[in-house]
Order: sequence, then C-alpha cells, then structure tokens
Amino acid sequence: MKRLLFALPLAVLLPAALAAQPQAGTETVQISYVEETLPNGLRVVYHVDRSTPVAAVDIWYNVGSKHEQPGRTGFAHLFEHMMFKGSRNVGDGQHFGLLQAAGARTGEDINGTTSWDRTNYFEQVPSNQLELALWLEADRMGTLLETLTPEKLENQREVVKNERRQGVDNQPYGTWTEKMLAHLFPEGHPYHHPVIGSMEDLSAATLDDVATFFRTYYAPNNAVLVIAGDIDVDNAKTLVRRHFGDIARGPAPPPLRSMALPPRMGEGRREVVQDPNAQAPAIFVGFRAPPARDPQANAVSLLTTVLGARSGGLYEALVRRQQIATGVGSFNFGLVDGADAMFIIANGKPGSSPDSLEAALMAELDNLAAHVTQAALDRARAQARFGFINGLQNTGGFGGRADVLAMGATYFNDPGWVNRQLDENDRVTLADLQRLVRERMSADNRVVLVYVPAPQPSTPGDR
Amino acid sequence: MMRPTTALLALLAAGAAARPAAAQPEQPPAPAPLRPYTVPPVEEFRLPNGVRVVVVRDAKLPIVAGRIMVDAGAALEPAEQSGLAVLTGDLLDAGLPDLTGSQIVEEMERLGAEFGTSASYSYAFATLTATKSAFPRAFALAARTVMEPTFPPAEFQRVQGQNVAQAVQIRSSVEGLADEAFSRAVFEPGAPYSRPPYGNPASLQRLTRDDVVAWHRTRYSPSNTTVLLVGDVTAAEARQMTTGTIGRWSAPAVQVPVVRNPAKPVTGTRVILIDRPGSVQSGVTVGQAGIGFADPAYFRWLGLSQVLGGGFNARLNMNLRERHGWTYGAFSNLQALRGAGEFTLSSSVRTNVTDSAVAEMVREYRRIVEEPVPPEELQAAVANLVGSFPSSVQTVQGLMQRMQSVLLYGLPVDYYASYRERIAALTPQDIAAVAREKLTPDALTIVVAGDLAQIEAPIRALNLGTVEVWDPDGNRVR
Repeated sequence: MKRLLFALPLAVLLPAALAAQPQAGTETVQISYVEETLPNGLRVVYHVDRSTPVAAVDIWYNVGSKHEQPGRTGFAHLFEHMMFKGSRNVGDGQHFGLLQAAGARTGEDINGTTSWDRTNYFEQVPSNQLELALWLEADRMGTLLETLTPEKLENQREVVKNERRQGVDNQPYGTWTEKMLAHLFPEGHPYHHPVIGSMEDLSAATLDDVATFFRTYYAPNNAVLVIAGDIDVDNAKTLVRRHFGDIARGPAPPPLRSMALPPRMGEGRREVVQDPNAQAPAIFVGFRAPPARDPQANAVSLLTTVLGARSGGLYEALVRRQQIATGVGSFNFGLVDGADAMFIIANGKPGSSPDSLEAALMAELDNLAAHVTQAALDRARAQARFGFINGLQNTGGFGGRADVLAMGATYFNDPGWVNRQLDENDRVTLADLQRLVRERMSADNRVVLVYVPAPQPSTPGDR
Repeated sequence: MMRPTTALLALLAAGAAARPAAAQPEQPPAPAPLRPYTVPPVEEFRLPNGVRVVVVRDAKLPIVAGRIMVDAGAALEPAEQSGLAVLTGDLLDAGLPDLTGSQIVEEMERLGAEFGTSASYSYAFATLTATKSAFPRAFALAARTVMEPTFPPAEFQRVQGQNVAQAVQIRSSVEGLADEAFSRAVFEPGAPYSRPPYGNPASLQRLTRDDVVAWHRTRYSPSNTTVLLVGDVTAAEARQMTTGTIGRWSAPAVQVPVVRNPAKPVTGTRVILIDRPGSVQSGVTVGQAGIGFADPAYFRWLGLSQVLGGGFNARLNMNLRERHGWTYGAFSNLQALRGAGEFTLSSSVRTNVTDSAVAEMVREYRRIVEEPVPPEELQAAVANLVGSFPSSVQTVQGLMQRMQSVLLYGLPVDYYASYRERIAALTPQDIAAVAREKLTPDALTIVVAGDLAQIEAPIRALNLGTVEVWDPDGNRVR
C-alpha cells in the first residue's frame, strides 16, 4: 500500500532574492486507502501511515439532527451521550477509563460529536492498542440496549441540559445559531431546529425513544468505520471481522423527510435580539447557500474565505478604516442536503451603537462584488491549501485523516473525496464567486440578527 | 533519544491493565507489542547578533511552524501599564517602514501562511505556520515585524479599542470573572500574575502609542530573542533562513529583570463571590497558588492533577458530571509558568446546585491529601500522560507548544527525551508527598461567579471560611 505521496516543488529553498515572482506553496498530499464492505453492510476504510505509532478509529453513523422527529429535537445528540454509558461488556464510565489508561486524551483523541447530518465517535490510541478501540466500538454498536437504565438517561439528560446552558443560554450571542437556522430554514424543515434541541424536548425524551433510535439508525449497514495510522491492513481486517463480523444487519433506515428548498428565501428577515449576556453589539448575517453535495460547494467555501480574510475588503473597511467593528468573520456550515448556510459576522465595541454597526455592514453588503477579486480568490486558494495540509497532520481527532475519509464515504459515497479537493479549488473561477454573490447574497436571501446588550435582569447588589 | 527504561516499557505494555476485575462476560483485548517511538531531534545554534535558534526536525508532512520569541512578556510590565506587553505584541504586524498592516496581512495570506503576533505573561511573539515552500519568505516578513514595527497611530487606536473590547468581553462570562478574581486573590497585589496579561479596561485606556514605542525600544533585542522552528526544516535550512533576516537585527542588548510572583499568605479558606444576576450557571474555581514549570515538584504535581481532574474519567468529572449531572465538565489545571503558577479545579455548574458542587470540589481536594491514591488509579493516570505524548506532538503546532515551555523556562532542549520516563516513574508515595507538602485543603481560595440572589445564602451556609463579595474589577463590596 502506498504511503502518503508528496508532490514537492523543485525550488523549495530558492533564495528569496532570486525568486522574481515568489509563489505560494504548491505542495499537496494524497491519502491512500483500501476499502471493503462486510456482509452485514458495514463499510470499512483502511489508511496506512506509519510516521507516528498511533492508530485512529472513527465511526460515522448516517444520522444527525435532521433525522429527528418533531417534539424530539436534540435527541440524536442526547443519544450520542448514551453511547458512553456502557454496553454488555463495558461498564458505565469504562469507555473513557479504558481508553485513557491506554494513552488516549479525552476530548482531542476520544470524543463523540453530533451535527445536523451525522454522528461520529472516534478514538486515537497508541497503535498497539488498536484492538481495544475496535472492541469498544463494536460492543456498543452490538449491545448498547442491554444495559440501558432510566438512571443513565436521567443523568445524561441533565448533562446535556448543562451543555446547553454553558454553550447557549449563558454565553454572549449563544443563541445566534439556533435563531439563524430557524429563519433560514422554514418551520418543519429538518435543518430548522438546533442540534442541541430545546429544554422541553430534552425533558420529554424517554427510554423507549432511546431504544427505537438505536434500532433504527445504529446498525452496521448505516455506518462507516475508518481505521487509520500505524496499522497493518491484513491484521486490521482480521480484527474488524472478529469484533464487528457478528453484529446483525439492521433494517434499512427510513427515508429522510424532503430536504428540498428553493435556492433563495424570497424575502429578507431581520430580528433584534436583546442579550443580557452580551456587553457589545454584534451583527450576524446568514444566507441560504448551495449545499455540500452541490458542484458549487468549493466556491462557497472559497467565497467565505475571501469575505472573512483579514486582507479582505470587509475587514479593511469595517475594522481598519472605519474602526466600527472589532472583528469580521465569514464561514459556512457545510450542510449536506437541500441547502447550506453561509454567514458574515461583525462584532462591535462595548457601548457602541448597534444601528451604526448594522448600517456600516449593510453598506458593505450592498457592495460585496467589489471585494471579490482574482487576487483575493488566489489568496483564499493558498489559505485553503495550507489549511488542507495542516488539517491532515492528525491521524484521528477532529478533521484528521480518518475523519475526512469517513466524511467522504458518508456524504459523497467516496472515501477518496478528500484527494480531489485541491484540484476542485483550482477549478473555481472568479465568475463562480461573483455569481454566488449575485444570486445568493442578495437582500431577498438574507437573515440579519442584531444582538443588542440588554440590561441585566436585576440590579447588582439588590437582594 | 534515551532508550525507554524498563518502567516505561512495562507501563506502556500494560496499558489497559487498570481495568477493574469485575465479573464481565468478556475482557477487553490485551495490547499488542509496543511500537517504537522516537522523540524528534533538537538542534540549536546562536547567530552572531545573539539570537538563539532552536530547530526541531519532524518531516512527516511538508509543513513548518516557527515562533520568534522575545523575552518581553506581560510579567515585566508595571501594574499601571497592565496590558502594554500584549498591546505592543498585537501591534507588531500593524505596519513596517515600507508596508502597511493591510499589505503585511495580504502577503501572508497570499503565501497561505497562518500568521499572528501578540504576547503572554512570559514573552512577546510572532508565530507562523506555512507549507515548506512558502515558509522562508513568510518567515522573512515575520522577522521584520519583530525588528522594525512602526506602530501607525490609527492602528494603535484600533488595536487598543479591540483589546478594551476583549477585556470587557471576558468579564461577561462567569468563567472569565472567576478566572480573573482567582488570580487576583492568590497572588500579592504587586505580583504580575495577579493581573491578567491582556490588561483591564481602565489600564488599557490609559496606554498611549508612546508607551508602545518605548516598550518595543527598551525591551526587544536580539539578546533576549529565541527563534523556534519545528517541522520539515533542517538546521542548515534554519541557518540560511535566519541569518539574512533576524540575524541582521541590531539593537542594544537588554537586561531582563528577574520578576517574582509571591503568593499571598493564606491562613484559612477564603470564599469570594461575584454577582452576575440572572446567570443560569455559576463559574466555580477552587485552588491555590502553585509552582513554576521548572520546579522539582512539577512531575509529581502533574500526576496528582491527572488523578484529580486530568480527564473525563478523573475524580472530579466522574463526581460532578457523571454521578450528579451538575455540569457539562469539571477539570483540574496545573498552570506552571516562570517561577510560579496556579493549581485550580474548575467547572460551570447549574445555578441551583452551586453550593453542592462547591462542597464536592472541596471534598475531592481534601480526599487526595488525606487518603492514599490506589496504585491502579495512579497507573491509569500516568499511562495516559505517557501514552498520549506521541499524539500530543503529532502536529508541528503541538510540538512547538511543548518545546516553547522548555525554552521559556530555561530547561535543557532534550527535556522531552526523558519526559515519558520521568512520568512513568511516579509512585503513590510521590503523590502523597506532593499532596502533603504543597496542597492546603484548609486554606483554599474559592471563587464563585453567578446569580448571588440564588447562590449566596447556600454557599455561606457551607461554612467553608471567610466570605467576601467582589465587583468585576476585583474591589471588595461587602
């Protein structure tokens, strides 16, 4: 099997004085892999890289908050927490305990994450502990329900509520994502509600919901397993068969509700949010955008890089010249089905006027095309190339090699999706970006959230 | 590198040996033989003008990280100029004699380089990561931002405003309020570590551009500058890259004063409350002043911290999150800087269980002093620190972060060659000794930021010690 392949430029160390037209980096990285599908439907991808003695296991289940039923928002994520509470051979708390003792860090190496489109579970361990990681994942995929108790559900329900308080309810601007998505996607659309869910729905979740969800979505035929790093493929295949081979195939998951949406909202929306946690105004602008499976996806990502760049026109105008904002950012979520969401965010100074900040940002939005130039696109491409190689330094963890292989297989039915991305970026033209600005960033396709610092609910010192 | 000792090999081979011997139908699989790991090699040299260059070669991918570090951090600034070192560091990339701040950023983005300048307690820095082919040119520009920044007046005004906004923003969260108050409480008023490195809104507003210019002129010099290069770079390439850039810097040598950070003497437990009306969670920090990174007790305290709150499965999180469901997470932190530091347990907890959470945090603090740590629990904690080391330095940024502490705090550059062995050698007796010698469960500093209308009376009822109420600026109001 091939190692990572580097295409290095010839003039790596050309002295600066001799390089008439210095170029941005041109390096690239290819991730080699082999794949197979077990008789029970589990798709397995293997990637060998022996440069560090670590192995990563990463399972993506094709279920996210978009699969949730009305009245049960936040359930995919609550369920993800239940996957860490033990199974037939693994006691409550032992999943983390065994992996930590094996040399994996919680958070970075060991985690589970839930998004709108999928749920994943990963662990990066010293490579001699690969089998432990596979055994743990197989045990919960095969036997989670055997040890489920009301106490475990109640405990994690409280933990998730605390997660919501810490990340949403008690943070400045913590509500912006859920307000934004509620505006960008109509009532009833699967992207309308937040991944974390509402307190009411979290309270309503039952043990039966957990069991049904598991039987519906947590089957080998609805998952992709990636094993990456310092591994021997033949040995890894043997281990996969030993631990996952006997897990029964599940019924085909029910089809998603329709994700289709008109490309544009048709009319703009604006909401003023009084935020007692905020000390300074902030403006969040969202647009409905082509989704990750659309051919324009790379253009969307490069466009947000252009608009969020510190060398970009928005930063130049609002932060450096007018000094009305302390920062400007732009990014997209990368939603897979129907439509994606892209954002421009401007933070104001404490005590400054939200209206002035909004007016200044809106004036720039009316003139966005002027900021989208060939030079800006080229810079965005260079940044994307760096970001690509930078992200692939990690075997496992967030955005590491295992993660991008799993994403390719889950979203694009192609683990090798990652290997095409730099070429895809090279094919994006200035006209592609300008068309996106024209068609998607117009006033009839935008949501504006104006966050205004609100007085605290009571006066400090009052008892 | 040093050959692994027998203790290290035994520990790594045992790996998951800490699993409880419960009557499980199936035991976890045993680890395979350990695969070899070599700590990346370190080389260093000094340029004729005095700049020290340290190179860590790790050529897995065509990527290089670099950091130019000047011994001009916030620990050196006077209290009335709090925030000056960071403000100066933030402004390094705001202009050069022939380039505006916009042009500097534009060139870095054109090269696809991730670039920034700032400062911390310990040092000021320009930091850079880029692909190998783009790195030399980006480094040359980064070096100029350290050597010849012009601090344009409009940019001074802008960044000053941003730093004020940031200082205000940090105090809008319960975590930020508790952090700042804790440091203020445990160190003597004159100690730099009693103040946040980024300053406070009032001190930042007092600073002028002249202050920044003077700080750079008197504190930045080749004599107190180190360049750290990590990744796909050889010592020869490093010499070529630095000689014609940072090696050409000429500025008077700087005498860096020794700064002390004395901890406030504590005789009993002190509870400090900060009101954030309507808060649905409280930010809780429990702990004491700690030690420097180079302190002989560092490894033992690190082991103790790992057992108490070093990860998901450590005592604190298992208690507060998994047993009680009071929080999303609870962890300990051994922040070891130059000559001093902090040891804290912290968590954001639901408002109506704040008193119970504080009581449990104090109880865990006391338990690790009063009861010996079971050998298997320590072994699991130690195995985690040892086994995860290769993962923690898999990226050039991770490796740079680790190496930076060694350089900043004056330890030998081959520090990590024996790092895993030193941790693997820890025993329950070591933990008991450091707990006895260093931990003061009867003289803790406890800071709680939250809705006092709901939490103050229950916390007072715990009778943990003296209770004070502070405003966000750190003034005692009651």
